[in-house]
Amino acid sequence: MESQTSNEKELRIVRVFDAPRERVWKAWTDPEQVKSWWGPRSFTAPFAKIDLRVGGKYLYCMRSSDGKDYWSTGVFREIVPLQRIVATDSFADEKGNVVPATHYGMSPDLPLEFVITVTFEEYQGKTRLTLTHKGFPSGRDSEMAPQAWNESFDKLAETLE
Amino acid sequence: MVNRARVALDLDAIFAALAHPIRRAIIEQLSGGDATVSELAEPHKVSLPAISKHLRVLEGAGLLRVEPEGRVRRCQIDAAPLSAVFGWLTRYRVLWDDRFARLAKHLEDQK
Repeated sequence: MESQTSNEKELRIVRVFDAPRERVWKAWTDPEQVKSWWGPRSFTAPFAKIDLRVGGKYLYCMRSSDGKDYWSTGVFREIVPLQRIVATDSFADEKGNVVPATHYGMSPDLPLEFVITVTFEEYQGKTRLTLTHKGFPSGRDSEMAPQAWNESFDKLAETLE
Repeated sequence: MVNRARVALDLDAIFAALAHPIRRAIIEQLSGGDATVSELAEPHKVSLPAISKHLRVLEGAGLLRVEPEGRVRRCQIDAAPLSAVFGWLTRYRVLWDDRFARLAKHLEDQK
């Protein structure tokens, strides 16, 4: 984040999983396994396709509880088996074409392409996974958050009057 | 992940829920992990019914999930509504936290 010249921000998450590195790597690169965890809470991931080679693409689908599908795609930039994956990450349509975030009603501030780096390290028989997700616009979601804050401050002011 | 209409509707409840020092302390405590109702009551000099009342406010704002676990009630923070108030970084953190929780369970189930 500090080393970046632009105003972009990155997200970095470190997590230790109680499983050998091979299994965590497999869970990340085997589409059948990806389908069982890629969807966040209250979502499912009904579709995952992975062409695991540099220049190869992936295409995932997350489905919300009310049945709305969110497709994402990307290109693998770097693959070091059992150690490291670097890939782009974009919103997509169901055919795998890159679409802007506005396609899903999200902020035009979001970039067409994020870059995700995942590293897998052995750690006392477990696996330490480090994820960096780069390319976030600096500041808040300019389309929505200030408005939301203002609305609620207005309401708060009303109640205090 | 993103539902604007609902976010806008929930904001008042979220801000009202956070407008009390004990409720903010509870959220902070739960950020570190799940806790039972009595564990949450412990640092505060208030009765269990008073804590339960605070928990209901947080629950009503969608910031908290309470699950019965035998004879105790276990509380869990739900950061998703909070993330909607904050920026993309927080929202994607919640997304990845969710995914990693699933991944951990997936790896556990495989054993």
